[in-house]
Amino acid sequence: MSSKIEIKLPSQMEYLGVPDAVLMEIGSDLDCCKRSLEELGTSVIEACTNAMEHGNKLDEATPIEVVFDVEDETITITVLDHGPGFDYDSWQPSDELMRERGRGILIMREFSDRVEFGKHADGRFQIRLIKTLEPDTEDD
Amino acid sequence: MKIKERKRDGVAILEMSGKLMGGPDAEAFDETLKTLIHEGCRNVIVNMERVRWVNSTGLGILISGYTTLKKSGGELKLLKVSDRIENIFIVSKLFTVFESFQEEDEAVMSFS
Repeated sequence: MSSKIEIKLPSQMEYLGVPDAVLMEIGSDLDCCKRSLEELGTSVIEACTNAMEHGNKLDEATPIEVVFDVEDETITITVLDHGPGFDYDSWQPSDELMRERGRGILIMREFSDRVEFGKHADGRFQIRLIKTLEPDTEDD
Repeated sequence: MKIKERKRDGVAILEMSGKLMGGPDAEAFDETLKTLIHEGCRNVIVNMERVRWVNSTGLGILISGYTTLKKSGGELKLLKVSDRIENIFIVSKLFTVFESFQEEDEAVMSFS
């Protein structure tokens, strides 16, 4: 199976469930376990939270774009915003357990096989999440 | 996110539903806890059974609530956390902070 789905969302938190719902729909046609799919869903919610909040400053009129590339059980999700981005290479996770912010990158990294940050060809900032979903088993 | 509140044996049980994701959710949750503290109810159980997902800002809301109650001499505990949300608590190491239960009776009794 190979397909590409593109959606645009207003930069408002209430739409964060949409990319997760799209991913669950894509996953319903794949031979993959629920946990693996939900992990990628959690990652895409974080990437979109980051894009809406830090990239587009929650400006409803400035949409984020989410592109799902499906190649068999490997899904690449690209989340694009209009912000300046940040220097991922110098990012260090905080060890302050009770901090109220700053876990988004950690969550994306833990629940994806690979996370890439950078500039899209058109100048927008992009986060790419790549994951090969684990096959369904009777235990799931 | 919606919050329904009830009390049992002096413990407030907050039935959450929907998505826990920051923004107005943070204000609603914070306001609910402040009202409870004002009423003298400092022990709170957050029932997560009907919460579909939590993002990092939603985690921040729970951490803020935990800290607020702790400072006032109370505690915030979790009930019926789904596997999906539990995984987020595990990777963020917050499962070492929040006490979590699957049965309401057990959660309420843990305050006595």
